Amino acid sequence: MTNTNTVAMPKSGTPFSGLGRMIGAEFLKLRKRTMTKVLIIILVAVIALVNFLFMAISKLPPIGSGQGIARIQDYLGLSAAIPFALYLIASFGSVLAIIMAASSMGNEYNWKTIRTALISSESRFKFLTAKLVSLAILILAGMLIGVVAGFIMGLITTGIGGYAYNFSFATGSYFWEQFLQFWRTFFVITPYALLGFLMAIVGRSAMPGISAGIGVLFLESIITMFMVLAGGWIAKVPDYLLSANVNAITALNNLPQGFGKEMGNGGTSQALPSVPHAFITLGIYAMAFLALGYYLFRKRDVTG
Amino acid sequence: MTVVMESRDAIGTQDSVVLRTTGLSKSFGKLEAVKNLNLELRRGEVFGFLGPNGAGKSTTVGMILGLITPTAGSIELFGVKQNGNRWAALRRIGAIVEEPAFYPYLSGWDNMHVLAESIGGIPKNKIEEVLERVGLADRAKDQYGHYSMGMKQRLGIASTLLRDPELIILDEPTNGLDPAGTKEIRDLIPRLAHESRAIMLCSHLLHEVELVCQNVAIIKQGTVIANAPIKELLSRGNQMQIRVDNMGEATGILSGLPWVKSVKREGDYLMIDIPPDHGAAVNQALAQKGIFVSELINRTHSLENVFLQLTGGASGD
Repeated sequence: MTNTNTVAMPKSGTPFSGLGRMIGAEFLKLRKRTMTKVLIIILVAVIALVNFLFMAISKLPPIGSGQGIARIQDYLGLSAAIPFALYLIASFGSVLAIIMAASSMGNEYNWKTIRTALISSESRFKFLTAKLVSLAILILAGMLIGVVAGFIMGLITTGIGGYAYNFSFATGSYFWEQFLQFWRTFFVITPYALLGFLMAIVGRSAMPGISAGIGVLFLESIITMFMVLAGGWIAKVPDYLLSANVNAITALNNLPQGFGKEMGNGGTSQALPSVPHAFITLGIYAMAFLALGYYLFRKRDVTG
Repeated sequence: MTVVMESRDAIGTQDSVVLRTTGLSKSFGKLEAVKNLNLELRRGEVFGFLGPNGAGKSTTVGMILGLITPTAGSIELFGVKQNGNRWAALRRIGAIVEEPAFYPYLSGWDNMHVLAESIGGIPKNKIEEVLERVGLADRAKDQYGHYSMGMKQRLGIASTLLRDPELIILDEPTNGLDPAGTKEIRDLIPRLAHESRAIMLCSHLLHEVELVCQNVAIIKQGTVIANAPIKELLSRGNQMQIRVDNMGEATGILSGLPWVKSVKREGDYLMIDIPPDHGAAVNQALAQKGIFVSELINRTHSLENVFLQLTGGASGD
């Protein structure tokens, strides 16, 4: 007896069918990479290092009025541990997210696995979507590890520094605010990660993605500074770039005076864009990078 | 025979052409990589696809697999013309394009697992089965990056078998294999074809192709310059070398025979262009006129000779 069902032409699924399975496969690839673990270790190490550095500085004899030292001591307080960790994640974590996103896509070209991956994927749309979703999960997991590391460092430096363990700040509104700031931080990392991802597609390699993402992250602050100095309408241009809008959102984290808004605009006295403006602008950038990535990858010839 | 095999045979009778390209062309800017390519590959057939470096073989394979968009022409897979998403067809194809490519930091097993998850519907014991089949079961937990070239090839072949394909496209499958490994793969290919699969073999190892393929297409500068059963291709320019005392008279007799294409004197021998298996007829024709052949050698071409003649001596890819 023959059973034609076993070899009947399989039907293509709905736009999202099988996506969970593909995300699982992509997540396995990311999870098993040594680089992923190294990046998370680097993030934790940087958070630890900055905390220890601040603690060491706080123990120096007062210089001048001694207000600077007092401020640093504020950062070491437990209440500032999570917002400070999120602040570091928004800046340094963006670099790591760019590396992870660009290498996730670019290494498919570098290792030539793109061909095998595409002929084993239901569609290019699903392949990219699975990659992006698994990346988002990993970035969120990395952020969570960073927050936990920041809080543990807060506990350690409070203990070593001889400060009092005071948990009175741990109210519902505090945790709600940290929860919101966690997602805001993810939101500000996203455009940079997507830029790295897009440029890895454009350049068919990890390096263009990493260099473009990190390049924009660092150079934009310098360019912003010069634009603000130029004055006139040019000084308004940074409001429509990434860094000023990122700073407008990270400034919401209620860090002690000295950080937050004062440090948010590349050291210039220029006012930061409004928060709704920042959300809309960053959202537009993220959507544009995403759409362009999908568009380029949709019908691009995979050769070489 | 399994149920799957039976159903394949059942389909095979209705749908024996698994791949058909019609007027397939691809240009990259001004470069015409593939021009008006017409190929046909049937179930159970091992098809050799040969050509020098840069001839357009990988571009053709890329177009078949949907990695490259053709400029013109059409591709039919399993009787269905391919427009847009070809996943339904790709699920039935196993392919190594140019070289096996896997994630270097993952083990052989993990690489297969990633593929199986992407494809879907592949049980885990299938992974073990295909790794066993290519002799990698013992090294399945080792990192792919530490594999030898031969092991990478084996894993590539295992990946093609993962989805129990009806069409297998293999690009240089014996690359990097030792003689024993080469023989194993050479033996495996016809076995896979006997399982009612069609196999497209891109190789520069012309001897291997000659041993396992039934049909061959040779591509040069994007154009197919030969596409025929391998026996027919080898018989083209088939020559018989004979030695007789009276060469002049023998030349006259042989030139008058309808199936003799040409007769040429080379030293002490006459070189006769004739179809294969005509040795006895040559001998008989000469003997009837009182000329006796003292030496008769049938000089069939090897695929390598044919390839080099057709491609103008370009090295195979």
